[in-house]
Amino acid sequence: MVVTCEDVWREISNYFEGDLDPALKLAMEEHFAQCPHCESIRDGMRNVIGLYGDKALFPLPAGFYPRLHDRLADQVEGKRISRRAWLVGVAVTGALAASVVFATALDRFAPQPRSEMSQPARRLPQRLVAIVDGGKMFHAPGCPFMHGKYHMVTPDEAVRKGYSPCTRCMSEALRSAGNVTPDFEGEETASEATAEK
Amino acid sequence: MRNRDSSDAAATGVARSDPGHEHEAALIGRIQSGERELFYELIRPYERRVFVIAFTILRNEQDAEDAAQDAFLKAFKYLAQFRSESRFSTWLIQVAINEARLRQRKSHLEIMRPIVDQENEDGTYTPRDFTDWREIPSEALERKEIRERLVRALGSLAQKYREVFVLRDVEHMSIEDTALALGISAGAVKTRLLRARLMLRDLLSPGLEGIWTSHSQIPKGTKPWS
Repeated sequence: MVVTCEDVWREISNYFEGDLDPALKLAMEEHFAQCPHCESIRDGMRNVIGLYGDKALFPLPAGFYPRLHDRLADQVEGKRISRRAWLVGVAVTGALAASVVFATALDRFAPQPRSEMSQPARRLPQRLVAIVDGGKMFHAPGCPFMHGKYHMVTPDEAVRKGYSPCTRCMSEALRSAGNVTPDFEGEETASEATAEK
Repeated sequence: MRNRDSSDAAATGVARSDPGHEHEAALIGRIQSGERELFYELIRPYERRVFVIAFTILRNEQDAEDAAQDAFLKAFKYLAQFRSESRFSTWLIQVAINEARLRQRKSHLEIMRPIVDQENEDGTYTPRDFTDWREIPSEALERKEIRERLVRALGSLAQKYREVFVLRDVEHMSIEDTALALGISAGAVKTRLLRARLMLRDLLSPGLEGIWTSHSQIPKGTKPWS
Protein backbone atom coordinates (compact mmCIF):
# COMPACT_ATOMS: atom_id res chain seq x y z
CA MET A 1 0.00 0.00 0.00
CA VAL A 2 1.26 3.43 -0.92
CA VAL A 3 0.00 6.57 0.82
CA THR A 4 0.35 10.21 -0.11
CA CYS A 5 1.09 13.16 2.16
CA GLU A 6 -2.59 14.10 2.10
CA ASP A 7 -3.48 10.59 3.26
CA VAL A 8 -1.03 10.96 6.13
CA TRP A 9 -2.41 14.34 7.18
CA ARG A 10 -5.92 12.93 7.14
CA GLU A 11 -5.04 9.87 9.21
CA ILE A 12 -2.27 11.17 11.43
CA SER A 13 -4.61 11.70 14.39
CA ASN A 14 -6.00 8.19 14.08
CA TYR A 15 -2.42 6.97 13.91
CA PHE A 16 -1.90 8.25 17.45
CA GLU A 17 -5.26 6.89 18.52
CA GLY A 18 -4.17 3.40 17.43
CA ASP A 19 -7.26 3.45 15.30
CA LEU A 20 -5.81 2.29 11.98
CA ASP A 21 -5.80 -0.81 9.92
CA PRO A 22 -2.36 -2.48 10.33
CA ALA A 23 -1.64 -2.24 6.60
CA LEU A 24 -2.32 1.52 6.60
CA LYS A 25 -0.23 2.01 9.69
CA LEU A 26 2.69 0.21 8.09
CA ALA A 27 2.32 2.25 4.92
CA MET A 28 2.34 5.49 6.92
CA GLU A 29 5.47 4.48 8.77
CA GLU A 30 7.19 3.73 5.48
CA HIS A 31 6.08 7.18 4.30
CA PHE A 32 7.51 8.88 7.41
CA ALA A 33 10.89 7.34 6.64
CA GLN A 34 10.91 8.98 3.23
CA CYS A 35 9.09 12.30 3.85
CA PRO A 36 10.68 14.81 6.31
CA HIS A 37 7.58 17.05 6.24
CA CYS A 38 5.21 14.29 7.31
CA GLU A 39 7.78 13.05 9.79
CA SER A 40 7.88 16.52 11.39
CA ILE A 41 4.09 16.55 11.52
CA ARG A 42 4.14 13.22 13.32
CA ASP A 43 6.83 14.40 15.77
CA GLY A 44 5.08 17.71 16.33
CA MET A 45 1.76 16.07 17.01
CA ARG A 46 3.41 13.64 19.40
CA ASN A 47 4.83 16.60 21.30
CA VAL A 48 1.46 18.33 21.39
CA ILE A 49 -0.25 15.25 22.78
CA GLY A 50 2.53 14.64 25.28
CA LEU A 51 2.81 18.20 26.56
CA TYR A 52 -0.90 18.90 26.86
CA GLY A 53 -1.49 15.52 28.44
CA ASP A 54 0.68 16.46 31.40
CA LYS A 55 -1.40 17.49 34.40
CA ALA A 56 1.18 20.09 35.32
CA LEU A 57 -0.09 22.26 32.50
CA PHE A 58 -3.37 23.11 34.20
CA PRO A 59 -2.72 23.38 37.92
CA LEU A 60 -5.72 24.11 40.09
CA PRO A 61 -5.79 27.59 41.66
CA ALA A 62 -4.47 27.76 45.21
CA GLY A 63 -7.27 27.19 47.70
CA PHE A 64 -9.54 25.60 45.13
CA TYR A 65 -10.50 22.61 47.28
CA PRO A 66 -11.36 24.49 50.50
CA ARG A 67 -13.41 27.03 48.59
CA LEU A 68 -15.25 24.31 46.70
CA HIS A 69 -16.04 22.36 49.85
CA ASP A 70 -17.16 25.50 51.67
CA ARG A 71 -19.51 26.23 48.79
CA LEU A 72 -20.86 22.68 48.78
CA ALA A 73 -21.20 22.38 52.54
CA ASP A 74 -24.50 24.28 52.73
CA GLN A 75 -26.16 21.92 50.28
CA VAL A 76 -24.44 18.66 51.03
CA GLU A 77 -24.20 18.81 54.78
CA GLY A 78 -27.21 21.06 55.22
CA LYS A 79 -26.02 22.35 58.54
CA ARG A 80 -23.66 25.18 57.87
CA ILE A 81 -25.13 28.64 57.74
CA SER A 82 -23.87 31.83 56.22
CA ARG A 83 -22.01 34.37 58.31
CA ARG A 84 -24.88 36.84 57.97
CA ALA A 85 -27.47 34.30 59.06
CA TRP A 86 -25.22 33.35 61.94
CA LEU A 87 -24.98 36.98 63.08
CA VAL A 88 -28.75 37.45 62.84
CA GLY A 89 -29.25 34.30 64.86
CA VAL A 90 -26.87 35.48 67.54
CA ALA A 91 -28.62 38.86 67.71
CA VAL A 92 -32.08 37.31 68.05
CA THR A 93 -30.88 34.88 70.70
CA GLY A 94 -29.26 37.71 72.61
CA ALA A 95 -32.42 39.79 72.50
CA LEU A 96 -34.48 36.88 73.77
CA ALA A 97 -32.02 36.22 76.57
CA ALA A 98 -32.07 39.90 77.55
CA SER A 99 -35.88 39.85 77.59
CA VAL A 100 -35.92 36.85 79.88
CA VAL A 101 -33.41 38.44 82.24
CA PHE A 102 -35.38 41.69 82.29
CA ALA A 103 -38.68 39.91 82.92
CA THR A 104 -37.11 37.91 85.71
CA ALA A 105 -35.79 41.08 87.30
CA LEU A 106 -39.21 42.72 87.08
CA ASP A 107 -40.85 39.66 88.55
CA ARG A 108 -38.49 39.82 91.49
CA PHE A 109 -39.91 43.22 92.41
CA ALA A 110 -43.53 42.22 91.72
CA PRO A 111 -45.75 41.43 94.74
CA GLN A 112 -45.83 37.80 95.66
CA PRO A 113 -49.28 36.33 96.32
CA ARG A 114 -49.94 35.77 99.99
CA SER A 115 -51.24 32.32 99.26
CA GLU A 116 -49.41 29.95 96.95
CA MET A 117 -52.64 28.03 96.47
CA SER A 118 -54.69 30.95 95.27
CA GLN A 119 -55.32 31.84 91.66
CA PRO A 120 -54.44 35.27 90.28
CA ALA A 121 -57.22 37.54 89.07
CA ARG A 122 -57.88 37.37 85.38
CA ARG A 123 -59.85 40.56 85.34
CA LEU A 124 -60.20 42.94 88.25
CA PRO A 125 -63.60 44.25 89.38
CA GLN A 126 -64.28 47.88 88.74
CA ARG A 127 -65.36 48.64 92.28
CA LEU A 128 -63.71 48.65 95.64
CA VAL A 129 -62.98 45.35 97.31
CA ALA A 130 -62.65 44.39 100.92
CA ILE A 131 -59.46 43.15 102.52
CA VAL A 132 -58.65 42.06 106.03
CA ASP A 133 -55.25 42.71 107.50
CA GLY A 134 -53.43 39.42 107.70
CA GLY A 135 -55.79 37.84 105.20
CA LYS A 136 -54.92 36.36 101.80
CA MET A 137 -57.92 37.21 99.64
CA PHE A 138 -59.95 40.23 98.74
CA HIS A 139 -63.70 39.95 98.92
CA ALA A 140 -66.96 41.59 98.20
CA PRO A 141 -68.35 43.13 101.34
CA GLY A 142 -70.51 40.60 103.19
CA CYS A 143 -68.68 37.51 101.91
CA PRO A 144 -69.03 34.74 104.56
CA PHE A 145 -65.44 33.73 103.86
CA MET A 146 -64.21 37.03 105.20
CA HIS A 147 -63.59 37.28 108.92
CA GLY A 148 -62.56 40.22 111.01
CA LYS A 149 -62.47 43.87 110.41
CA TYR A 150 -62.07 44.78 106.84
CA HIS A 151 -61.46 47.91 104.90
CA MET A 152 -62.09 48.84 101.28
CA VAL A 153 -59.36 49.35 98.77
CA THR A 154 -59.13 49.43 95.01
CA PRO A 155 -58.63 46.07 93.32
CA ASP A 156 -55.23 47.20 91.99
CA GLU A 157 -54.04 48.01 95.46
CA ALA A 158 -55.32 44.69 96.78
CA VAL A 159 -53.39 42.80 94.10
CA ARG A 160 -50.30 44.91 94.66
CA LYS A 161 -50.43 43.92 98.34
CA GLY A 162 -50.57 40.27 97.38
CA TYR A 163 -54.28 39.57 97.84
CA SER A 164 -55.97 37.13 95.48
CA PRO A 165 -59.65 37.01 94.47
CA CYS A 166 -61.92 35.09 96.79
CA THR A 167 -63.12 31.96 95.03
CA ARG A 168 -66.59 32.41 96.48
CA CYS A 169 -67.44 36.06 96.05
CA MET A 170 -64.97 37.03 93.36
CA SER A 171 -65.48 34.04 91.07
CA GLU A 172 -66.21 36.38 88.22
CA ALA A 173 -62.75 37.85 88.57
CA LEU A 174 -61.30 34.39 88.22
CA ARG A 175 -63.39 33.35 85.25
CA SER A 176 -63.95 35.91 82.63
CA ALA A 177 -64.08 39.51 81.62
CA GLY A 178 -66.82 41.85 82.63
CA ASN A 179 -67.94 43.62 85.69
CA VAL A 180 -67.77 41.69 88.88
CA THR A 181 -70.92 41.73 90.86
CA PRO A 182 -70.25 40.91 94.47
CA ASP A 183 -72.48 38.20 95.82
CA PHE A 184 -72.75 39.64 99.23
CA GLU A 185 -73.16 42.98 100.85
CA GLY A 186 -71.46 43.62 104.16
CA GLU A 187 -70.48 46.22 106.58
CA GLU A 188 -68.02 48.84 105.59
CA THR A 189 -65.94 51.24 107.50
CA ALA A 190 -67.42 54.70 107.43
CA SER A 191 -64.74 56.36 105.38
CA GLU A 192 -64.26 53.59 102.85
CA ALA A 193 -67.98 53.05 102.42
CA THR A 194 -68.30 56.64 101.48
CA ALA A 195 -65.60 56.23 98.89
CA GLU A 196 -67.36 53.18 97.44
CA LYS A 197 -70.63 55.03 97.07
CA MET B 1 -10.14 0.80 6.74
CA ARG B 2 -10.67 1.80 10.34
CA ASN B 3 -10.18 -0.72 13.07
CA ARG B 4 -12.34 0.77 15.74
CA ASP B 5 -12.25 -0.89 19.11
CA SER B 6 -15.72 -0.11 20.17
CA SER B 7 -18.93 1.61 19.26
CA ASP B 8 -20.91 3.99 21.46
CA ALA B 9 -23.23 1.19 22.47
CA ALA B 10 -20.33 -1.06 23.29
CA ALA B 11 -18.77 1.72 25.32
CA THR B 12 -21.95 1.96 27.35
CA GLY B 13 -21.79 -1.74 27.96
CA VAL B 14 -18.21 -1.41 29.11
CA ALA B 15 -19.29 1.35 31.44
CA ARG B 16 -21.86 -0.91 33.05
CA SER B 17 -19.37 -3.70 33.72
CA ASP B 18 -16.58 -1.36 34.85
CA PRO B 19 -15.83 -1.88 38.58
CA GLY B 20 -15.28 1.84 38.96
CA HIS B 21 -18.65 2.48 37.41
CA GLU B 22 -20.28 0.00 39.78
CA HIS B 23 -18.58 1.66 42.74
CA GLU B 24 -19.89 5.03 41.61
CA ALA B 25 -23.38 3.64 41.11
CA ALA B 26 -23.30 2.28 44.67
CA LEU B 27 -22.09 5.63 45.98
CA ILE B 28 -24.85 7.45 44.15
CA GLY B 29 -27.42 5.08 45.61
CA ARG B 30 -26.16 5.73 49.14
CA ILE B 31 -26.14 9.48 48.57
CA GLN B 32 -29.71 9.35 47.36
CA SER B 33 -30.59 7.32 50.45
CA GLY B 34 -29.40 10.10 52.69
CA GLU B 35 -25.63 9.67 53.07
CA ARG B 36 -25.08 13.06 51.52
CA GLU B 37 -21.49 13.49 52.68
CA LEU B 38 -20.46 10.73 50.26
CA PHE B 39 -20.94 13.26 47.48
CA TYR B 40 -17.45 14.56 48.25
CA GLU B 41 -16.02 11.11 47.61
CA LEU B 42 -18.02 10.79 44.41
CA ILE B 43 -16.72 14.00 42.86
CA ARG B 44 -13.15 13.89 44.16
CA PRO B 45 -11.67 12.21 41.05
CA TYR B 46 -13.31 14.79 38.78
CA GLU B 47 -12.75 18.07 40.59
CA ARG B 48 -9.76 18.99 38.47
CA ARG B 49 -11.38 17.82 35.25
CA VAL B 50 -14.44 19.99 35.80
CA PHE B 51 -12.26 23.03 36.45
CA VAL B 52 -10.14 22.41 33.36
CA ILE B 53 -13.10 22.06 31.01
CA ALA B 54 -14.66 25.21 32.47
CA PHE B 55 -11.34 27.02 32.04
CA THR B 56 -11.10 25.79 28.46
CA ILE B 57 -14.43 27.38 27.64
CA LEU B 58 -14.17 30.55 29.71
CA ARG B 59 -10.41 31.15 29.48
CA ASN B 60 -10.48 32.87 32.84
CA GLU B 61 -9.41 31.23 36.08
CA GLN B 62 -11.88 32.95 38.40
CA ASP B 63 -14.84 32.42 36.09
CA ALA B 64 -13.79 28.81 35.63
CA GLU B 65 -13.67 28.22 39.38
CA ASP B 66 -17.10 29.80 39.86
CA ALA B 67 -18.51 27.74 37.01
CA ALA B 68 -16.96 24.57 38.44
CA GLN B 69 -18.53 25.24 41.84
CA ASP B 70 -21.91 25.87 40.23
CA ALA B 71 -21.55 22.67 38.23
CA PHE B 72 -20.91 20.59 41.35
CA LEU B 73 -23.85 22.20 43.11
CA LYS B 74 -26.13 21.42 40.19
CA ALA B 75 -24.81 17.90 40.01
CA PHE B 76 -25.71 17.42 43.66
CA LYS B 77 -29.11 19.01 43.22
CA TYR B 78 -30.02 16.96 40.18
CA LEU B 79 -28.26 13.74 41.12
CA ALA B 80 -31.62 11.99 41.26
CA GLN B 81 -31.99 12.65 37.54
CA PHE B 82 -28.72 10.90 36.70
CA ARG B 83 -29.30 7.69 34.80
CA SER B 84 -26.66 5.06 35.29
CA GLU B 85 -26.68 4.07 31.61
CA SER B 86 -23.82 6.52 31.17
CA ARG B 87 -20.77 7.22 33.29
CA PHE B 88 -21.17 9.67 36.11
CA SER B 89 -18.03 11.46 34.91
CA THR B 90 -19.54 11.99 31.46
CA TRP B 91 -22.75 13.34 32.94
CA LEU B 92 -20.80 15.59 35.29
CA ILE B 93 -18.75 16.97 32.40
CA GLN B 94 -21.95 17.65 30.50
CA VAL B 95 -23.22 19.64 33.48
CA ALA B 96 -19.91 21.53 33.66
CA ILE B 97 -19.93 22.32 29.95
CA ASN B 98 -23.48 23.61 30.13
CA GLU B 99 -22.66 25.71 33.16
CA ALA B 100 -19.58 27.21 31.53
CA ARG B 101 -21.43 27.91 28.29
CA LEU B 102 -24.25 29.55 30.23
CA ARG B 103 -21.78 31.75 32.06
CA GLN B 104 -20.08 32.51 28.76
CA ARG B 105 -23.34 33.68 27.22
CA LYS B 106 -24.10 35.84 30.23
CA SER B 107 -20.74 37.55 30.02
CA HIS B 108 -20.98 37.89 26.23
CA LEU B 109 -17.66 36.18 25.80
CA GLU B 110 -18.86 34.55 22.63
CA ILE B 111 -18.41 37.79 20.71
CA MET B 112 -14.68 37.53 21.37
CA ARG B 113 -14.26 34.45 19.26
CA PRO B 114 -10.83 33.80 17.83
CA ILE B 115 -10.36 34.15 14.12
CA VAL B 116 -9.98 30.43 13.62
CA ASP B 117 -13.63 30.09 14.74
CA GLN B 118 -14.64 31.22 11.32
CA GLU B 119 -12.92 28.32 9.61
CA ASN B 120 -14.91 25.60 7.98
CA GLU B 121 -14.54 22.38 9.89
CA ASP B 122 -14.95 20.28 6.78
CA GLY B 123 -12.22 22.08 4.84
CA THR B 124 -8.85 20.43 4.46
CA TYR B 125 -6.06 21.67 6.67
CA THR B 126 -2.54 21.77 5.34
CA PRO B 127 0.06 21.55 8.10
CA ARG B 128 2.90 24.02 7.95
CA ASP B 129 6.27 22.67 7.01
CA PHE B 130 8.55 22.56 10.04
CA THR B 131 11.16 19.92 9.85
CA ASP B 132 12.96 20.46 13.13
CA TRP B 133 10.37 19.12 15.57
CA ARG B 134 11.90 16.76 18.00
CA GLU B 135 10.63 15.35 21.22
CA ILE B 136 10.18 17.91 23.98
CA PRO B 137 10.44 16.43 27.49
CA SER B 138 7.70 17.08 30.01
CA GLU B 139 10.28 18.88 32.17
CA ALA B 140 9.79 21.78 29.80
CA LEU B 141 6.49 22.46 31.58
CA GLU B 142 8.43 23.51 34.67
CA ARG B 143 9.09 26.75 32.88
CA LYS B 144 6.27 29.20 33.30
CA GLU B 145 6.68 30.78 29.88
CA ILE B 146 6.33 27.38 28.25
CA ARG B 147 3.12 26.69 30.14
CA GLU B 148 1.73 30.10 29.31
CA ARG B 149 2.60 29.63 25.67
CA LEU B 150 0.78 26.30 25.57
CA VAL B 151 -2.29 27.67 27.32
CA ARG B 152 -2.34 30.71 25.06
CA ALA B 153 -2.07 28.57 21.94
CA LEU B 154 -4.95 26.39 23.11
CA GLY B 155 -7.00 29.48 23.90
CA SER B 156 -6.55 30.76 20.37
CA LEU B 157 -8.39 27.77 18.91
CA ALA B 158 -12.08 27.90 18.22
CA GLN B 159 -14.15 26.67 21.13
CA LYS B 160 -15.36 23.53 19.35
CA TYR B 161 -11.75 22.47 18.87
CA ARG B 162 -10.70 23.43 22.39
CA GLU B 163 -13.50 21.40 23.96
CA VAL B 164 -12.70 18.24 22.03
CA PHE B 165 -8.95 18.57 22.46
CA VAL B 166 -9.15 19.15 26.22
CA LEU B 167 -11.52 16.27 26.88
CA ARG B 168 -9.50 13.85 24.79
CA ASP B 169 -5.87 14.93 25.06
CA VAL B 170 -5.79 16.80 28.36
CA GLU B 171 -8.32 14.80 30.36
CA HIS B 172 -7.81 11.57 28.42
CA MET B 173 -11.48 10.80 28.00
CA SER B 174 -12.32 8.26 25.33
CA ILE B 175 -13.57 9.32 21.92
CA GLU B 176 -16.99 7.92 22.81
CA ASP B 177 -17.23 9.67 26.16
CA THR B 178 -16.05 12.92 24.57
CA ALA B 179 -18.77 12.59 21.97
CA LEU B 180 -21.37 11.90 24.65
CA ALA B 181 -20.26 14.81 26.80
CA LEU B 182 -20.37 17.24 23.91
CA GLY B 183 -23.47 15.83 22.28
CA ILE B 184 -21.77 15.23 18.94
CA SER B 185 -20.88 12.13 16.95
CA ALA B 186 -17.66 10.18 17.40
CA GLY B 187 -16.79 11.07 13.81
CA ALA B 188 -17.09 14.78 14.58
CA VAL B 189 -14.86 14.30 17.59
CA LYS B 190 -12.18 12.70 15.44
CA THR B 191 -12.40 15.39 12.78
CA ARG B 192 -12.11 18.20 15.33
CA LEU B 193 -9.37 16.39 17.19
CA LEU B 194 -7.29 16.09 14.03
CA ARG B 195 -7.71 19.79 13.29
CA ALA B 196 -6.98 20.82 16.85
CA ARG B 197 -3.80 18.76 17.02
CA LEU B 198 -2.53 20.01 13.67
CA MET B 199 -3.31 23.64 14.48
CA LEU B 200 -1.60 23.41 17.87
CA ARG B 201 1.40 21.80 16.30
CA ASP B 202 1.63 24.69 13.86
CA LEU B 203 0.98 27.35 16.51
CA LEU B 204 3.61 26.01 18.85
CA SER B 205 6.40 25.24 16.45
CA PRO B 206 7.86 28.73 16.05
CA GLY B 207 6.78 29.93 19.52
CA LEU B 208 8.43 27.20 21.49
CA GLU B 209 11.54 27.47 19.44
CA GLY B 210 11.78 31.18 20.15
CA ILE B 211 11.40 30.64 23.86
CA TRP B 212 14.05 27.98 23.93
CA THR B 213 16.65 30.00 22.12
CA SER B 214 16.03 33.46 23.60
CA HIS B 215 15.57 32.81 27.33
CA SER B 216 17.83 29.92 28.11
CA GLN B 217 21.52 29.68 28.70
CA ILE B 218 21.76 27.12 25.94
CA PRO B 219 23.71 28.24 22.89
CA LYS B 220 21.58 29.43 20.02
CA GLY B 221 20.64 26.76 17.57
CA THR B 222 20.56 23.89 20.06
CA LYS B 223 17.58 22.39 21.86
CA PRO B 224 17.62 21.52 25.52
CA TRP B 225 15.60 18.39 24.86
CA SER B 226 17.92 17.04 22.18
